[in-house]
Amino acid sequence: MIVAEGLSKSFGPVHAVRGVSFSVARGELVGFLGPNGAGKSTTMKMLTGSLLPDGGRASIAGEPLDGRSLGARAAVGYLPEHTPLYREMRVRPYLEFIGEVHGMGGRARRDALERVIASCDLDGYVGRRIHTLSKGYRQRVGLAQALFTDPDVLVLDEPTSGLDPAEIVRIRDLVVELARSKTILLSTHVLPEVEEVCRRVLIIAGGRLVADGPLHELAEDSADAIVLAVDAGGAPADDVAATLAACDGARAARGTFDGARVRVHVTLEEGADRYALADALARAVHGAGWPLQELRHEVPTLERVFLERTRRMAAGEEEAS
Amino acid sequence: MSARPRALAGVLPFARRELRSAFESPVAYVAIGLFVLVLPALFFFLGYPVGRTPLPGLWEGGQASLIVLFHWLPLLLALVVPALSMGAWAEERRAGTEELLLTYPVRTGAVVLGKFLATWTLTMLMVGLAVLSAAVTVGYLGDLDWNTVLAGLVGAAWLCAGYASVALFLSAVSSEQLVAFLLGALALGLLWALPLLVRVLPGGAAGALEAASPTTHFLGSAARGVLDLSDLVYFVLLTALGLVANTLAVERRRWR
Repeated sequence: MIVAEGLSKSFGPVHAVRGVSFSVARGELVGFLGPNGAGKSTTMKMLTGSLLPDGGRASIAGEPLDGRSLGARAAVGYLPEHTPLYREMRVRPYLEFIGEVHGMGGRARRDALERVIASCDLDGYVGRRIHTLSKGYRQRVGLAQALFTDPDVLVLDEPTSGLDPAEIVRIRDLVVELARSKTILLSTHVLPEVEEVCRRVLIIAGGRLVADGPLHELAEDSADAIVLAVDAGGAPADDVAATLAACDGARAARGTFDGARVRVHVTLEEGADRYALADALARAVHGAGWPLQELRHEVPTLERVFLERTRRMAAGEEEAS
Repeated sequence: MSARPRALAGVLPFARRELRSAFESPVAYVAIGLFVLVLPALFFFLGYPVGRTPLPGLWEGGQASLIVLFHWLPLLLALVVPALSMGAWAEERRAGTEELLLTYPVRTGAVVLGKFLATWTLTMLMVGLAVLSAAVTVGYLGDLDWNTVLAGLVGAAWLCAGYASVALFLSAVSSEQLVAFLLGALALGLLWALPLLVRVLPGGAAGALEAASPTTHFLGSAARGVLDLSDLVYFVLLTALGLVANTLAVERRRWR
């Protein structure tokens, strides 16, 4: 439903997006992550037609997004960052205007109005001027305009930014509900939000796509530590750590005594096989005569994956320059 | 399910939205009220003291004619039209709504046309009220030629269309409303002043400048009760030029 092929965009000397390619299939909810200035919003603008790429191409629901992309633009609902709205207007006329702009007839507009008022919980607010609404309700109006034509594809740029916790949960639940029937590209800075609602994430840094895949696979690829707990029989934690750090594939080990057992955090060398290291660590513990009470791969959080991927990108950029 | 796009779907919705927004704030009421008061007041009491042949006010001149009132229109509209149109694009950009607007399944030209229709309608409402209120008064006092008034109003509609398209284009290239107003007033003021340069320039250049001014094409014929096809062609070309430039300026945003 969403296809980006080698999208590039520069603003003067700044290369905002560089050869970004990905696709989002029908019914997928994909998280789009990246640090500030990474090229997220620029990519989203190119995917909704408000910005044309310098290179590459994009399409929505099979319709190309070029200078005359009315079909593609009709198929996508867009909530830009900061929710720009005609703030002097009242909610109902504003939403009716959105329907008119999309060529919807009177009956279709009335039905759509009822639908989005219900789904965005705007009942009781349709007569209010938009500038008098709280940020949360303005965000709902922004979502309502994106949903007004019941588009197959939604592009949501920071839909929960600046909201209070209750509003965040409300909007998040709505996105999850919408994901049952729509293709959604969701940009956010709130990583736990992505962990909670998206099975697949795209990470962009320095204008390039640095990760694309199911969350658990990215986490697995980024798993670079093994945690053990042993009954060291009074041996100092540093000695236990030193013993384990000597195993093939271990880069470093850090030990702490929690009053009952020694816990050791072992990081892998670059390119080391974590399963082989786990086996070596188990043998070393057994060889030292310490009962092994726990051994697990540390599953990194999305935050850790995000930081690692963007760090790698930055390091690569530095080397290249 | 998505609605199917239509090429001109945006014209009327945008025209209605612009008009509704104009009347949501007191600005439109104040502007119309001031115009309806100031233009007849100038006509009745001051006359038109600009140019080679100053014209006396109604009381002083004693003629049942709106020619003095029509003489004021090109100058006053050079200030009023930019004031009415300055926010049309500059405010969209400031508020960020332009980004969303560019994602709607409508042609940019249709949006430009919608905003133009709104500004033109608002300006004509203002001019119509001012002219008719003065005409009713003059008609009560003397023998007013209503055909001349009608021709003057038609010419004023052409003039307003040309002014609106130029001012809207300048709003589209401005990042702030104030800049849009100043650019619009400056550009329309220069167009208005072109005939005044006739006295300081050699014949050929002076003639060309005079022919390029909307003032000449309005005051030379329609304001005197004569509708000339060449004036209509001039104002159609001026309006079309402004609208095309406006469309290109907005479309260029997709490449910025």
